[in-house]
Amino acid sequence: MSVPDYMQCAEDHQTLLVVVQPVGIVSEENFFRIYKRISSVSQVSVRDSQRVLYIRYRHHYPPENNEWGDFQTHRKVVGLVTITDCFSAKDWPQTFEKFHVQKELYGATLYDSRLFVFGLQGEIAEQPRTDVAFYPSYEDCGTVEKRIEDFIESLFIVLESKRLDRATDKSGDKIPLLCVPFEKKDFVGLDTDSRHYKKRCQGRMRKHVGDLCLQAGMLQDSLVHYHMSVELLRSVNDFLWLGAALEGLCSASVIYHYPAGTGGKAGARRFQGSSLPAEAANRHRPGAQEVLIDPGALTTNGINPDTSTEIGRAKNCLSPEDIIDKYKEAISYYSKYKNAGVIELEACVKAVRVLAIQKRSMEASEFLQNAVYINLRQLSEEEKIQRYSVLSELYELIGFHRKSAFFKRVAAMQCVAPSISEPGWRACYKLLLETLPGYSLSLDPQDFNKGTHRGWAAVQMRLLHELVYASRRMGNPALSVRHLSFLLQTMLDFLSDQEKKDVTQSLENYTSKCPGTMELIALPDGLPLPPVPFTKLPIVRRVKLLNLPASLRPQKMKSLLGQSVSTKSPFIYSPIVAHGRGEERSKKIDFQWVQGDVCEVQLMVYNPMPFELRVENMGLLTGGVEFESLPAALSLPAESGLYPVTLVGVPQTAGTITVHGYHTTVFGVFSDCLLDHLPGVKTSGCTVEVTPALPRLQASTSLPRSAHSLQPSSGDEVSTNVSVQLYNGETQHLVVKLENIGMEPLEKLEVTSKILTTKEKLYGDFLSWKLEETLAQFPLQPGKVATFTVSIKVKLDFSCQENLLQDLGDDGISVSGFPLCSPFRQVVRPRVDGKAVSAAESSRPGDPSHVKTLEAVLNFKYSGGPGLAEGYYRSLSLGLHVEVEPSLFFTRVSTLPATSTRQCHLLLDVFNSTEHELTVSARGSDELILHAGECQRMAIQVDKFNFESFPESPGEKGQFANAKQLEEERQEARGLEINSKLDIHWTIPSLKRTGEASVEGLLNQLVLEHLQLAPLLWDVLVDGQPCDREAAACHVGDPVRLEVRLTNRSPRSVGPFALSVVPFQDHQNGVHSYNLHHAVSFVGSGTFHLDAVQPSGQSACLGALLFLCTGDFFLHIRFHEDSSSKGLPPSWFCLPSVHVRALEARA
Amino acid sequence: MAVCVAVIAKENYPLYIRSVPTESELKFHYMVHTSLDVVDEKISAMGKALVDQRELYLGLLYPTEDYKVSVFPNQLCRYGYVTNSKVKFVMVVDSSNTALRDNEIRSMFRKLHNSYTDVMCNPFYNPGDRIQSRAFDSMVTSMMVQVC
Repeated sequence: MSVPDYMQCAEDHQTLLVVVQPVGIVSEENFFRIYKRISSVSQVSVRDSQRVLYIRYRHHYPPENNEWGDFQTHRKVVGLVTITDCFSAKDWPQTFEKFHVQKELYGATLYDSRLFVFGLQGEIAEQPRTDVAFYPSYEDCGTVEKRIEDFIESLFIVLESKRLDRATDKSGDKIPLLCVPFEKKDFVGLDTDSRHYKKRCQGRMRKHVGDLCLQAGMLQDSLVHYHMSVELLRSVNDFLWLGAALEGLCSASVIYHYPAGTGGKAGARRFQGSSLPAEAANRHRPGAQEVLIDPGALTTNGINPDTSTEIGRAKNCLSPEDIIDKYKEAISYYSKYKNAGVIELEACVKAVRVLAIQKRSMEASEFLQNAVYINLRQLSEEEKIQRYSVLSELYELIGFHRKSAFFKRVAAMQCVAPSISEPGWRACYKLLLETLPGYSLSLDPQDFNKGTHRGWAAVQMRLLHELVYASRRMGNPALSVRHLSFLLQTMLDFLSDQEKKDVTQSLENYTSKCPGTMELIALPDGLPLPPVPFTKLPIVRRVKLLNLPASLRPQKMKSLLGQSVSTKSPFIYSPIVAHGRGEERSKKIDFQWVQGDVCEVQLMVYNPMPFELRVENMGLLTGGVEFESLPAALSLPAESGLYPVTLVGVPQTAGTITVHGYHTTVFGVFSDCLLDHLPGVKTSGCTVEVTPALPRLQASTSLPRSAHSLQPSSGDEVSTNVSVQLYNGETQHLVVKLENIGMEPLEKLEVTSKILTTKEKLYGDFLSWKLEETLAQFPLQPGKVATFTVSIKVKLDFSCQENLLQDLGDDGISVSGFPLCSPFRQVVRPRVDGKAVSAAESSRPGDPSHVKTLEAVLNFKYSGGPGLAEGYYRSLSLGLHVEVEPSLFFTRVSTLPATSTRQCHLLLDVFNSTEHELTVSARGSDELILHAGECQRMAIQVDKFNFESFPESPGEKGQFANAKQLEEERQEARGLEINSKLDIHWTIPSLKRTGEASVEGLLNQLVLEHLQLAPLLWDVLVDGQPCDREAAACHVGDPVRLEVRLTNRSPRSVGPFALSVVPFQDHQNGVHSYNLHHAVSFVGSGTFHLDAVQPSGQSACLGALLFLCTGDFFLHIRFHEDSSSKGLPPSWFCLPSVHVRALEARA
Repeated sequence: MAVCVAVIAKENYPLYIRSVPTESELKFHYMVHTSLDVVDEKISAMGKALVDQRELYLGLLYPTEDYKVSVFPNQLCRYGYVTNSKVKFVMVVDSSNTALRDNEIRSMFRKLHNSYTDVMCNPFYNPGDRIQSRAFDSMVTSMMVQVC
């Protein structure tokens, strides 16, 4: 006996063993069809009793095991069913012969046998025979089950007769010694008459009867017999058979206690088939705890033939605890015999199954350990696999999953042991898969996303490697790629650098033949193998959807935006609504992408590998909108830090797009990594709106591009910057070429400009343009160009910086503070014109500190195509960087009264700060040539200005609460007025550049006052002729009529005034002679009186003079100091001095 | 005699494992891993016992049966110990030369436990990480060298 049956369980002791075998050539399919039908008849109730027979069918049974049939009767083949094909009558005898040969094989033990013949028809089939059944075909054999039942009943009759025969043997009779095959030679020559021998025979026979009773369904009888046998055999130290008796006792008790069976499925079916034992168990359960029958009460030599008195009592039955003890004892007896290894092993297995039901794992593991120790003869590889598999199953049964996995793995390894000529990789792979739960490893990568990996990485990795290898040898490269990817993905943290290299290398080798995919792979046993996305190669830390560049960003037109807001909610702001909305679109980003334009998503990735990682075909996975992803390939350096990667794509339709994840190809494995499944990824939202397509505008200019970018504080993002260098006052035209480089026609364009805050004061319009000409070229089809001209005019302050003034050895204050207001002509301190400027100063104009910078942004808002219909536009900003070099400065400004009171001279000290010769011209004056660094005075005669006449819209001004602001405003307006009158131009002939100059910035209050016409207009008329500048001629002796006329333009009434006329002579040498009584006499009073003049009124007073001798006389009209003139500015009383030339009296 | 010392976290993954014949480390991994079945079984069996009265020492887990399977020359016994926080210590002991008394094993475990407690007290140690303490390492080494 050498082949253990690992599937045995305790209940098998009550079964009858029937072998079903094919004879001749029977196809496996047909045989198993019939075998299945036969084995469905596994229990049969015997007609006239309550007993149930259990049948165990085997289609293969080694005859040497049969030899142990006396030892344990369930090992004895008692029935044989043969199945055969026979198609013609002439084959029949041969077939029948074979049947007999087959019968011979188990001949000694067989109770009965049957032959099932398929296919034979005709006269032979007509003969009624008990041991042969004929069926026309495998389909048409409805009575197979019935036949088997009959067959089993015949077995039962034999069994019952044997049982009764053995049981009723008289004690005095010679009882034959039953023995196992290896014992036979031990008993040769033994004294058969000794009491010891007799007892041994008795004990063994008792045990045998117990077995038969058990098989015959007489559980209680068998218990009694076993008990007696135990007693008998114990006394003679027949350990092998004592063990068998104990085991029989255990089996019977197990059958009693666990009617559902211990062997798994088979037992369960048995239970379903018959509820009787279950009821019996329930009935007798309390009895199980009762004291066992005292074996000593039985007569030692007499076997009571009738044990029926004991039937129905459970006293003989072992308690569950005792079962284990007895099993232990039995096994320890078995272990004394090396030849009984299989028996011992099977007993262990049976005990384990019982313990598994009792949930006593620790003890079960001890039994199993013992089973492992049992050394059978040299096992074949197949047997080893079977042995390990069974051990694994048993460990599983008692809940030792790790142990079970260990043995299963050993079994798997055994399948492909080098000693096997044809390694069973498929079986190995299958077994390895079964070990996965034992190593708490799931092949779904999703299970590894939750937090860090918690498992026994070393053994898991080993297992994965084995799976990879097995699947490769199995010839399923897709599977090995999948396992290897899984290994790499989930065990990355545990792989050493060298292992990482090895694994990736072999992965690349595999994928070169069979690329890894994202499809589910169905395993042979139907289990799906989920795809393994490489979310760790590279590791993505952050996903950020990028806005379009500023120039391409779509913007909603304001009016439309307002509407859309108002339709949504009547409230401008409500915290509740805002909160709700925030929840709902927590992932929606507040910018838009545009259909047809390239959009970007930035990923921050890093490479955890110790070598360069090549990621190919990396693209976006999106939903919601048709999206054309443009995959990228990247190469990450070894163990890189966070590395930004930009993935791009073009949305093809408008709508809401959601970025679900990205796809990669790493080491030839395609992965779709969904962001939802990535742990530790920061994202600021993945949903963005795509607006309909918009045109794209590209601006190029006539000016060179500038590297100089505008200050970041400017707010707008500027796509292009151009720079230009201009002299102060110069004007330049900037031609902007607008090209539609998009796919949509450009239909709408608006241009705005914004001058960035600058400290410099700017006069005049900096940028001006005419949009109409450009708009005439619209709509602009894709690829077409429109031009747009902007004129840049820089007019900064021409006044001199203070430091320059100091350099020139003067200070402006003293000049402007000079009392030019005096009605008298003052001698202005002569200035050194063209004063040589020191070398240091000459270098100054080119000094960059003098170069001022102006920056402005031209903003083009444009739209067209479907985007326009949706109310979106784009804006393109053009940065303008203007460096303004100083051209000329007015270092000093002053006024000189002109000869006429209505005019005055504006004196400008002009300083050429360029390095070139410069000419300056003003209206009505000659060109002034200035060398570099030269300063000259320039006098311009100007009419005085009547500022009051400027219209001032009071409503507008009323807005300015600040009086100071109002005053500034007014001053500016005056400056502009003056400037337009002056019209100062400069030219640099060498550079052929011209420009304007403006005095606006340097006119201070005093100068302005002088340039202003006084509100009181005084006119002196000599002989009715207005006298100003020109000398009025008169004749000596003739009275000269002198009229002083006052026009009041001030808003209030003035006067009355008293004026006195003082004549004097100017000797042109600085001496004024006032003593002219001899030369001039007044006709009438020398003092004139003027009445009060109402606003815009006129008044005049008349007098007369008489010149007594010829000469040039001047009349100084003085005001009398009185209260009425107080409070009025002195410049208001600026009367022209009257120059009268007295000629010879007319003849 | 101690040929392998392992510290296993509550969630049954190794915090520390070291074995003396380093070339067959994986075998020790399997050995310790399978012993967890018994440890689990023993813990669940004594789950009802009061915590403070519980015996931390689990005794012999397995004598050396598996190593008929994966041929191992020596007699290796596995002993277990579990802390109150369900951290397990498993020691594989080579008992072929000297039969160790239970008390010796017990004291070795106590030493191990003390050292482990020191590791836990390190504020820079993150519970659940692999133990990389040098002090712990040297203690384990001493336990292995002491007899080998």
